[in-house]
Amino acid sequence: MAHVQQTQSFYSLTLEAPSAPIAAVTCNAIPGLKSQDQQIFEARGQRLYLHRITENEDRTEVKVSTVLEQNVFGVIRGVTAFRIPGTATDQLVVASDSGRMAMFNYDADHNTLKQVHLETFGKSGIRRTVPGQYLVSDPRGRCLLLASTEKNKVVYMVNRQPDSSVRISSPHEANQWASLCFGVCALDTGWEHPVFAALEVDYAEADADSSGAEYERREKHLVYYTVDLGLNHVVKSWSDIVDYSANKVFAVPGGQDGPSGVVVCAEGRIYYCHDKSAPLSIPIPRRSGPTEDPQRTRIIVSGCLHLSKARHEFFFLLQTEDGDVFKLTLDIEEDAQGRKTSPPSGMNLKYYETFPVGKALLLIRKGYIFVAAEHGDSKLYHVNDLAEDLEFEPWNNFSSDSVSADPADPYTPTYFTPRGLVFTSLAVSRPSLHPLMKTKVENLTGEDAPQIYALQGTGNRSLFKTIRHGLEVSEIVSSPLGNIPFDNLWSLKHRASDEFHAYLLLSSTYGDKTIVLSIGDEVETMEESPFMTNRATVSAQTMGDATLVQVHARGVLSILESGALNEWPAPAHRTIVAASANKRQLLLGLSSSELAFFYMSEDGVLQQLEEMPEMSGKITAVGVAATPRGQKQAKFGVVGCDDCTIRVLSIDTDTPLEAKSVQALSDVPTSIEVVQMRDPQANTTIDYVHIGLASGLYLRATIDEVTGELGEVRTKFLGARPIRLFPVQVQSEQAVLACSSRSWLGYNHPQTSLYTLTPLVADQLEAARPFVSEHLRGMCAVQGQNLLIFSVEGVEGRLSSKAVPLQYTPRAMSRNPWYPLWYVVESEGNTLSRATKRQLIAAAKTKAEGQNGMKVETGEKNGVKTEAEDDAEAEELERHLGLSRAPGHWASCIQVIDPLATAAVSTIELTENEAALCTTVVAFESKEWEVYLAVGTGQHLKPGEPVTGDAPKGFVHIYRLSEEGRRMELTPFPTPIYALHPFVGRLAIGVGNELFIYDLGIKSLLRKTRGTVVPNLLTNITSQGHRLVCADVSESLTYVVYKPAPINRLLPFADDTVNRWTTALALLDYETCAAADKFGNLFVLRCPPQASSEADAPGLLPATAAAASSSSTSNRAGYLGGTAHRLDLRAHLATPDIATSLTRASLQPGGGDSLIVSSLHGTLSLLVPLPSRSDAEFFSQLESLLRLENPGVAGREHLGFRSAYVPVKGVVDGDLCEWFMGLKYDAKAKVAGELERESREVGRKISEARGRVAF
Amino acid sequence: MADKLRTQQQLESLQNKYIGTGHADTTKHEWLSNIARDSYSSYQGHPSLLSYMAIGMGKCEERVRAECMEKMVLPVGPKPEVEQG
Repeated sequence: MAHVQQTQSFYSLTLEAPSAPIAAVTCNAIPGLKSQDQQIFEARGQRLYLHRITENEDRTEVKVSTVLEQNVFGVIRGVTAFRIPGTATDQLVVASDSGRMAMFNYDADHNTLKQVHLETFGKSGIRRTVPGQYLVSDPRGRCLLLASTEKNKVVYMVNRQPDSSVRISSPHEANQWASLCFGVCALDTGWEHPVFAALEVDYAEADADSSGAEYERREKHLVYYTVDLGLNHVVKSWSDIVDYSANKVFAVPGGQDGPSGVVVCAEGRIYYCHDKSAPLSIPIPRRSGPTEDPQRTRIIVSGCLHLSKARHEFFFLLQTEDGDVFKLTLDIEEDAQGRKTSPPSGMNLKYYETFPVGKALLLIRKGYIFVAAEHGDSKLYHVNDLAEDLEFEPWNNFSSDSVSADPADPYTPTYFTPRGLVFTSLAVSRPSLHPLMKTKVENLTGEDAPQIYALQGTGNRSLFKTIRHGLEVSEIVSSPLGNIPFDNLWSLKHRASDEFHAYLLLSSTYGDKTIVLSIGDEVETMEESPFMTNRATVSAQTMGDATLVQVHARGVLSILESGALNEWPAPAHRTIVAASANKRQLLLGLSSSELAFFYMSEDGVLQQLEEMPEMSGKITAVGVAATPRGQKQAKFGVVGCDDCTIRVLSIDTDTPLEAKSVQALSDVPTSIEVVQMRDPQANTTIDYVHIGLASGLYLRATIDEVTGELGEVRTKFLGARPIRLFPVQVQSEQAVLACSSRSWLGYNHPQTSLYTLTPLVADQLEAARPFVSEHLRGMCAVQGQNLLIFSVEGVEGRLSSKAVPLQYTPRAMSRNPWYPLWYVVESEGNTLSRATKRQLIAAAKTKAEGQNGMKVETGEKNGVKTEAEDDAEAEELERHLGLSRAPGHWASCIQVIDPLATAAVSTIELTENEAALCTTVVAFESKEWEVYLAVGTGQHLKPGEPVTGDAPKGFVHIYRLSEEGRRMELTPFPTPIYALHPFVGRLAIGVGNELFIYDLGIKSLLRKTRGTVVPNLLTNITSQGHRLVCADVSESLTYVVYKPAPINRLLPFADDTVNRWTTALALLDYETCAAADKFGNLFVLRCPPQASSEADAPGLLPATAAAASSSSTSNRAGYLGGTAHRLDLRAHLATPDIATSLTRASLQPGGGDSLIVSSLHGTLSLLVPLPSRSDAEFFSQLESLLRLENPGVAGREHLGFRSAYVPVKGVVDGDLCEWFMGLKYDAKAKVAGELERESREVGRKISEARGRVAF
Repeated sequence: MADKLRTQQQLESLQNKYIGTGHADTTKHEWLSNIARDSYSSYQGHPSLLSYMAIGMGKCEERVRAECMEKMVLPVGPKPEVEQG
């Protein structure tokens, strides 16, 4: 096939995988663990995760650690886990958009998912009649069912073969024409035939009837599908009418454990249904309180079952859409054997807790509840009490007595008052970024790299986050060192075999002195120490068994264990400039370019090698490999000279100081460390040379064990200062800390096991060393004037963030051009505004006081105690419980956020049912470029409802940026305002399908010009010069040119040929735009050169001028109902996540610009322009070769996945290229062979492609 | 003639197997209902699209999913009266 070369290709890279859970189940997939020790199998975006919960003995430290992360290159829709009788671990099943059922086993040896079965049952893609929307498995592990939203259901039976392989049957279909499936569950029938229950609606009659009467009579059925294992088929065995609003079903334990049957959850009510007993019903209690609508009903959104097989007891935890969790139990008579298997006589609910609304609620047998939160951080709660005591909070017990099970019968609603956590306590909160509403990339703090400012979350759990690439550092001690600047430090053990460090040497070249501290219970200055303190130390090390060696400029001091001192003076007129040592060998660099070598004999005395070879230039750094485990001496030392070279020398006592290899560098090496690190591929340790250069460049290379040649050189620019390197330990793994203008930690990432460099989020460090004492395990460092002892908490994540809580769902933000301040507009639909809420509470209080003057308990705000105390408490509780909902109401505010102080500086609440939708900071030319804040709002908006009657209106508010942020202007518009943009000293406003340019007058905004530019609704504007790019809600982008006075018109001149429901927009250059749509597509559009130059020519556009002369009054004279020209599509990529912000920026000093994409489910990704044609060819070739290696373990074809809506164009999937790193050795060699390259070289190119622009 | 019958049979089997396979007399209402049902199914099938809509509507995802399902019953209203004769 001819390879068509694009003019520009992009390389797409994921920086942070999506954090939003799609589905999660508990499982026992890891072999050899107790059945209590359940794992969590979770799907997020296109990735599968297996998490483990680890805790220490007294459960004070709980961790959720990720064992496995696997990209399946497909949209995951559901997961389940089940145990086939007679097998040792659970089978994991994934439903995706592949039209296939993928079954996996966890392979502990290779830490991967091993595919057991991949069965095709339908077309690929997410379609109405292709199963995959619902996935359930039989509790006894005999079969599983996949269902689609309409018509199709497919059942697979699985069993274990005598050779312990898993056999799967051919698919059994249970299709029903014109039936919609609302929910599925697998009944627990004990060991009888498996039964699946489905909630179905048959629309055939409603569809055929033109009067609409049949539609009114529609019914929802609970249908049982029995899988007859003997006859090997699936039959519809029972069906009954249920409440029409039912949306979810849960299976009740059967067999010996319970009566079997299902719990059907409907709007406001929960039912128990089964073919063998009469139905039961219980209303879902509603929240009470003055700010709650007593008529509002809730639905159940998630739930889980707890079954104790030993005691034959069970209960459900069911969560409502408010986040309230209820414990559901059934009243069952015991039979003669003491089993509770007879039909239940009643249902009971008890209010348990309020958690964040979950996509999945998992009860883990170890005593935890995991909430895979729909929005915000997923949380693990420790269960202290399962609310078994009915005497506790008896007002929160509800029962089904005297409630009719007929959905048509009315019921008396029950009420409860939500409260804070009582039965559980928060154990772990997993940091997440979803839902990511907006991001901006700015450098407000003057750091090396810009920060990402993000709006995250919904409701009052929303956050304003400052995200940095870096590891969080927890500072343990920071103590001042005085006025002398110290530049290096060493932590030494007294004996080599000691566990803890005993001495800490701090050296100052400026003051030419060393201070010695002793490490014990406390770190104190040692007055009487054997070390030399009136000179700066060059290096210090514990050598041999217990000899302390201190190298200073004039000599080497060794302190034997007996206390005897040995001194080796430097040769006359020469000083020691660099030194490095391991347990036995010591290498010194002298000022005369000579190299001195010492070997420590068994008695702890240093023996000097007579020969002192001269190097080619002045020695600037030396490095000696650490003594390998089980050996006496290391093989190689590395010497760096100021002629920009490094030399590898043998330091073996047999061939001492024999030159092995030379490597030229781009600058003078300032620091060299040879560190043994684990090679993830071979699972052995190898020597790596880490080299820091004066230019701030960092290199890492391997040393060949035999020849001493350097290979596999990787480079990265770390900062503006010369680099100094320090070997450290992080989580008992070897790591390297590189100090430049930022400090970076180099380590093998625990999941990908790739070598990763991540900066530390801390001020600049001079030097750092490991620090292990009886109480602390971390690192010590010199930071400015302070001695810092700190630890790095975890190296799993690579981002750290600081958050400021917001009040409502954030919609947009804009920054102050002069100060590090952000203006965030927030609005929340169907929610009571703060003012209304206060009124209601005050009214309730006066009413209650007026009635009997008793102590009032009013739910969210209880009115005793002092007011300030009360307010703070109520606010905290409200944050936990969520906002009060009320249809038709809007709560909205504008907040000023100071990200440096991590606080909201000021808040303006909007009234009159307005919702702030967009904002921009604008400098008006007519006001001498004074800066104002413009906020676009909508009034009486109805989210998700068609506009009727009281049509929504819009306003633009103009605020003067002063201390109190006073509102100046309020200009009404006929429609809500979704887009605002500063435009050459004026304000561009999108009003419906029209674009307006406004100037600021004394009393209101003054209209300067207008033009109809898009077909439907303008949602986004960006501009450069007099060119504006406008995004329509559904019809892609339109390029508009503003012709200044005297023409003073807005003329659209180029638009797109396809519908694109644009969500985000960014200009890449004057002609090119990158944008994203609602279906997860990213695309780059470019204006044809002719159209571009025509638009910029003075006067009207040729097409418009022609139309004007032919007496048409419209300025939309164009071509085929659009503008005169069409945009070219340059690149297109489908992702499973919806991009909400696009920014062109450089994330790294020295790195080129790339397009930073942030998406709703918390993905941060990049589109990097590939710099050269050869790179573009290499990566697209690599991509097509890797596609053949079958990356989509869930069965989705990679090309199909990336071309879900439009064929992928001009974009190479970097995630797929990086998948190469995790391939097995022979697969790698095969791919590299096809590329006619070494597999190491391919690996280097892939990691460089990432390292060049991002982290 | 036999060919025509066979084509007819094949079309019928396709229509049976795949909902939405059109025929010569497909009405606008049938076509629209079909498209709308496909769309509502797609909204709940793509997890990010469901989140996007749920956030926009200020509801939880399960409720939006249930509403999408419910809309599939009769997405564009009852079919128009056919004039007899």
